[in-house]
Amino acid sequence: MSTLEIKNLHVKVKDEPEHPEILRGVNLTIRTGEIHALMGPNGNGKSTMAETIMGNPRYQVTEGDILLDGQSLLDQGVDVRARAGLFLGMQYPAEIAGVTNAEFIRAAVNARRSQDDPISIMNFLKELDQTMTTLEMPEDMADRYLNQGFSGGEKKRNEILQLMMIKPKFALLDEIDSGLDIDALRIVAKGVNAQRGPEFGSLIITHYQRLLDYIVPDFVHVMKDGEIIETGGAELAKSLEKTGYTHLKAGEADA
Amino acid sequence: MRELPSTPKIALARALKKAPAAAVPVGVTADAAVTRTFGLQVAPQDGLEDWLQGAGQTGVTLTVPAGYQGEPVFIQGPAEGSGLVHVVVAPGATVTLQDSWQGRGEHLAIGVWLEVGEDATVNWLTYDALAAESAVALRKATLAAGASLNWTVAGFSHNSGASLITCDLVGEGARATVNVGVLASGSQHLGYTTRMTNYGRKTGGHINQRGVITGAAHLIFNGIGHIVQGAQGADNQQENRVLMLAQEARGDANPILLIDENDVTAGHAASVTRIDQAQLYYLMSRGLSKALASRLVIRGFLEAGLAEIKDPQLKQTLFDTIDETLVNADA
Repeated sequence: MSTLEIKNLHVKVKDEPEHPEILRGVNLTIRTGEIHALMGPNGNGKSTMAETIMGNPRYQVTEGDILLDGQSLLDQGVDVRARAGLFLGMQYPAEIAGVTNAEFIRAAVNARRSQDDPISIMNFLKELDQTMTTLEMPEDMADRYLNQGFSGGEKKRNEILQLMMIKPKFALLDEIDSGLDIDALRIVAKGVNAQRGPEFGSLIITHYQRLLDYIVPDFVHVMKDGEIIETGGAELAKSLEKTGYTHLKAGEADA
Repeated sequence: MRELPSTPKIALARALKKAPAAAVPVGVTADAAVTRTFGLQVAPQDGLEDWLQGAGQTGVTLTVPAGYQGEPVFIQGPAEGSGLVHVVVAPGATVTLQDSWQGRGEHLAIGVWLEVGEDATVNWLTYDALAAESAVALRKATLAAGASLNWTVAGFSHNSGASLITCDLVGEGARATVNVGVLASGSQHLGYTTRMTNYGRKTGGHINQRGVITGAAHLIFNGIGHIVQGAQGADNQQENRVLMLAQEARGDANPILLIDENDVTAGHAASVTRIDQAQLYYLMSRGLSKALASRLVIRGFLEAGLAEIKDPQLKQTLFDTIDETLVNADA
């Protein structure tokens, strides 16, 4: 079992040191085998948290720590964190011409293997093919340039394809459901559920209960003003769907 | 010396001070319907063309017959020395043309003159991978009414010097797009001047230049869009983008628009940038090392200038060259 621990995390935007902290003391522990959902109104720090855990250089940790199996990740670059087992399914994946999807994913898979033991092309293509079938992706998406000209839904599906091929310990999924129609949502959920198991943990950021009907979380957290102000089980998401967030007040953390 | 074409920031006169290396016949692979005659049959227009033709009398003229729909025409530059060729595409022909240069030597003169006849369509790929010390290249396309040209120039040479890419849209309704992708490394000092001139009415010309500079190389991109008086309804657009990878790398992107007619549309964009951090972050977030991720981002940047190259083998060669150049630059 692996553990991802967020301890008293305070975060600022690096280029805006004069602005207040976006995260103001977040505590959260995720173990493999668990699915956590993170909900809350827009602009309250959910994406910042995911990006900071992944190591986006835009953000600066001013206090606290991020630990993977007891080892701090703060001094590690984004690629090291990825190889250590973290994955971030992004809200706005970058488009890169000149690099095919298949070539990129193979490079990502090989980045986790020793240099003299790359995955055989046959095995890789077979697995890629199967995974794309699971996600109902047309074959030609393997040979298209990475996210180039993909629709919003295709990009999200492509994030899940990478997740399934890379098989991280922990997947942070940032609004993986936004802009998806109901069929695409079902397919994306199918992909995430296929990863569920004792070796996989996930933090799913979403605004909508709808996604959580398909991926039933073990824990639901609500973030407001840069803090987690409430934690519960799957039923919390259902009640929030009815009541909204406004009745929840920011916690008195650090007070 | 007669007047030289304008090449801002590029010392063309200096590059032409020494006589060009002797010209050697180019290799040609083409359908039997494409005729070859000895002699260039191009009247030099200015000091540059005088200099190029001074390389010798070994030039050849290729004629693609009217209505041609056949196999591509391949022109292979000589292994050593200068090379001059003239291609005439007769009206209504459709042809793919490729000129490829890997030659050695000093003061190479490379000249390719292309005439595209009425309603003819040409897909042209120019591939420069010269191992020469220095070279001056002129490639000049002249389009008749209704002709269209889709041209990609892949600049992967190791030499210093000047490269002029000239498109004259003479006939009404002629259309041309020129995509240029250049990789400059080491101590190369390279100047590209890509000129698109609208003479005819309702002509349309687009320039799209992408350059990557590493090491202590210096790359100049001039884009000159010129709409002459009388070219009503003409359109002239250009984009020049340069990516600089090293502290000592130098890049210039100079868009120039000369408009002598009212009823036209024209535009330009230019930038000198460093690696796209969002792209880099995305690739690294999947575990790719910074070095590998950077190479892929750079490849993607150049790809915007090379997107029209459909030959997978050549594309792979270009990508491999980019990778090798960047690995060497990292070392």
